[in-house]
Order: sequence, then C-alpha cells, then structure tokens
Amino acid sequence: MKNKILNIKNLSKSYGAFKVTDEITIDLYFDEIHALIGPNGAGKSTLIKQIVGSEKHDIGSIILDQEDITDLTDIERAKIGISRTFQVSSIIPQFSAIDNIILSLLDKSNKTFEMFKSVRNNQELYLNAKKILIEIELIEKSNISASDLSHGDRRKLEVGLALAMDPKVFLFDEPMAGLDERGTKMMINLFKKIKSDSPILLIEHDMDAVFALADRVSVINYGKIVATGTVNEIRQNELVRDVYLGYEI
Amino acid sequence: MIFEKVLNKWILFFLFLIPVLGFIFEEYYYITLTTKVVILGIAGIGLNLALGYCGLISFGHAAFFGLGGYVTGIISYHAMNSELIFSWPFIVSGSSDMLVIWPIAILSSAFLALIIGLLSLRTTGVYFIMITLAFAQMLYFFAISWPSYGGEDGLSIYMRNSLPFVDTMDPLTFYFICLFWLLVVIFISAKLINSSFGMAFQAIKQNEERVKSVGIETFKVKLLVFVISGTITGLAGSLYTDLNRFISPSVLNWQMSGEIMVFVILGGIARLYGPLVGAAFFIVLEQTLGSYTENWQFWLGLILILEILYVRSGILSLFEKKLKYEK
Repeated sequence: MKNKILNIKNLSKSYGAFKVTDEITIDLYFDEIHALIGPNGAGKSTLIKQIVGSEKHDIGSIILDQEDITDLTDIERAKIGISRTFQVSSIIPQFSAIDNIILSLLDKSNKTFEMFKSVRNNQELYLNAKKILIEIELIEKSNISASDLSHGDRRKLEVGLALAMDPKVFLFDEPMAGLDERGTKMMINLFKKIKSDSPILLIEHDMDAVFALADRVSVINYGKIVATGTVNEIRQNELVRDVYLGYEI
Repeated sequence: MIFEKVLNKWILFFLFLIPVLGFIFEEYYYITLTTKVVILGIAGIGLNLALGYCGLISFGHAAFFGLGGYVTGIISYHAMNSELIFSWPFIVSGSSDMLVIWPIAILSSAFLALIIGLLSLRTTGVYFIMITLAFAQMLYFFAISWPSYGGEDGLSIYMRNSLPFVDTMDPLTFYFICLFWLLVVIFISAKLINSSFGMAFQAIKQNEERVKSVGIETFKVKLLVFVISGTITGLAGSLYTDLNRFISPSVLNWQMSGEIMVFVILGGIARLYGPLVGAAFFIVLEQTLGSYTENWQFWLGLILILEILYVRSGILSLFEKKLKYEK
C-alpha cells in the first residue's frame, strides 16, 4: 500500500451557520495526482487556502509527511514543502518572468537575506531559473515583465513559481484555466512528469485534463466531500451526476 | 535604466561643482544650502528604502531623524559643559568627536527603528501610517517637556563636533564630510536594491501574499528594511545637528516626517537619487518662494498637487523623458 504524503482530517470552517468546509478528510499519496472537482463556490479554493495556512480553520488536522503542520503559519508550511498556485494569477507584476522564478528560488537556496551580492550575477540562481523556464516553455519570454505576459503565460509562470520551490506537495488551483490546447498539453505532460517527485492536489474545471491526469478524484459540494474514487468510479457515481446536473462527466 | 545612470552622474557632478564654485566666489551661503540638500537627501534616501522600495508608508521618520539629532546634541552638549551624561551604574561622559558620536547616533536610531518596527509592522495600510506617526509624536512631546535639554527652545551646541586632522568648522570641509556619507548611503542602498534581499523587499511592495507563498519571511524582511531605513535617517539627523549646531523638537514633529516624504515623492518614488533631487527642489523652492512670500508652503502644495496629477514618477522622470527625446 502506498504511503500518504498529505493527510487532511475533518477540516472544518464556519462563518456563523454557513459551513465553508465541512469535516473534509482527504489524502494525497506519493506519486499521485488527486483531483478535487466541484461546482463554483463548493469550497475548493477555500480548502487550498486552509491547507497552505493563509486561512485558518476551526477544527481538524493537517499532516504532511508524518508531521503535524496544523499549527504552523503559512510561511512555515511553504518552507517545509507546500507549494501552491493561485486561482487568479498572483505574480510580481513589475518583475521579469525570470526574476519571478528567482524570487521563488531564494528561500530554498538560503539567499533571502544576502544583502551585498548582486542577485543578477548569481549564476546558480539564473541557471536553475532558466531550467524551470524551459520546462514551462517560457524561456523565450524570460526577460519580459510579468505584467506584459499573456494570461496563458502567467498561468505557466504560476506553475513555474511552484516548481522552483521543489516542494513535497503541489496544490494547483485551476492551473489550466485560460490555456490554449498546446499549453494544456504541456501542463498535462509536465504534471505527469513531476508527480513522482511531488504529488499534486489539483483543482481543475477542465474535465478532459482531470480525467487524463488524475489517479483519484474527490468531489466537493457545499464544503463537503461527497465522493472519492478512481476516474471510472467517479464517472459512474449517481451522487456526482446530481452535483454536476446537466454536465456530462 | 541607462538614462537614469546618466542623470545620476550629472547630479553627482553638480554636487561637486556647486560648493566648489561657492568656495571660489566666497558665497558660503550656497555651500551651507547644498550641505542641507545633501543631509536631507540622506534622510530621504533612508525613507525611500522603506516607502519607495518596500511599500512601507512610514509617517514617523522624524523620530529617527530627531533621535539621531538629539543624541548628537546631547553628547556634545555634555562635552562642551564638561558634565557627565550619567554617573550610575557607570560613568558616561560627553564627547565632541564625530567618530564617537556617529556610531552612537546610528545605533540609537537603529534600536528605535527596531522597537517601532516590531510593533508597527504587525499592522498595514492606514494603521501602519498612524502608528508610526504616533511614535514620532510621542518623542516630539517628550522632547518638548524635557527641560534639561532645552525643552521647546531646543539645544545649542555652539561648536561643531570634531574629526581628527580636519577643520569641521570650515563649511566646505563639513560639506565634503556630508557628501562622503551621502555616497556611502547611496552605495549601500544600491547594493541592497540589487541584492537578493532587495529583490525580496521590492516584491513585498508588489504582492506580499505571493512572497509569503514562496516561503520568504516577509515580516523579518520588512523589519530589516525598516531598521536600515531608520538608521540612515538617524545618521542624517546627526549631521543636521552639526550643520546647524542646534537641535530642537521641531525635527521630531510630524511636519518633518511629511517633509522627508515630500522629498521622496517630488524626486521620484523608488529612484535611488530621487529623494536627493526632491530635497534640492524643495530647498530651492523654500529659498526662492520664501524671498517673495511668507506663505511659500501654499505654492509648494500647489506644485506638489500638480506633480502628483501629471508627473507621478517624480522630477527625475521629466529629465529622463527629455534625454530619451534628445537621443
């Protein structure tokens, strides 16, 4: 049996009577892509925020690689190996694409507080950043300001920022939104390649991509996990069909 | 970027030229005026690191400027009167040696910035502005109500502090001491801005949530920037006391914080030489408009409004456009 890298138990958060996440229990195994699907407003992105620690939950626990990280801050969680992308691209707009990647490499290479050496002369950082830009097919645009990149390129850059952290797990929030066919294919291939090093919890609305990638799928509705299983199990689940009323899955 | 480098060289050229011309033509007033520009420019460069590059809108940098000034004033006041500063638990006497005074002024400002930063950086936006303002005002009212060091009337030190082998009373010599510090501060700031640390604090200004998500401890980064910023401004305060041979609570007032902020905005936010140009422009306006009307601040306000409406990137950007056009 595979080992769990991420184990979320009974994660709940309420705003008054409204439960944003309702006793969510979800696992991520080594070498796995676990897709989280559900209608808009179901609580997918909120769950991501709770896992990364940018939003507090009321009860429940989060175990990463056998370490309880429930009480850690968002920065501590990022340091020990949780890397995320944002639903809406969140990059440093006035930095070039390569500088965005370098920023993401700083903590891992213990360079954040290096004060008197020019970051632009650091060959090690630059070479590592270039490798990532090649991987996400943005090397041609490495010196373009992030604010001038197209929507699709920003989504790629988001993923590049996550890759640069070399984390234990990836939490990808709609990474393929707005990508063209070629971009989506690139992402699918990339995710298949990286999942063996760092498993992926994937939120995605592109069902073709989900079914092409996911080893397991969980369906969330009204803040509650209503089904978990393989792609085929989920396709045949009646309850899931109800959640996605009118949508062919 | 190339245009900015050309501009910066011209600025440095004028900083050497004006006082030398003042010396040759025995117009010492212009040397003093340029010294003031340099000192206030240092204060502005300090604030620019926090405000311009890291997005920390501090409205309390007068606290560091004033503390640097008061530390200098108090130490030399005691040396002048041959009195101990305190005698228990250990004996501390005054000094008129700049090499003694500068480190104490710098460390005091750094310590104050650390305390204020630790408390205020837990807030953001308007709360951060208010809390930094509140700290500076606390020090202002403390200075007013401290009769030992002149209270509201301020403290005169009569003789400028000394440096070995140098006549600091000579205006041109003192100018070059201040210019030396300006070049040191510019050098340090430039190094910081281009470093990994600089990359982190400039990113925080644009998107702190993203910076956190890549594992960078944004609070520590901001605190360190705030301390460096306050320290530089404190150094400027120390030099300012020596320039005037006088220190009063007015340098701790919110108006001083506002003026330092105006230097940064006038010259150009997040431009290395911006605050220096802003300070020069401010002082030239003060002198020229002040000779026509007592209400020169009104016209300054008008200019500031026009600048914010039409030249948001500061005065330096105007020259930049002109250089581009000429090329």
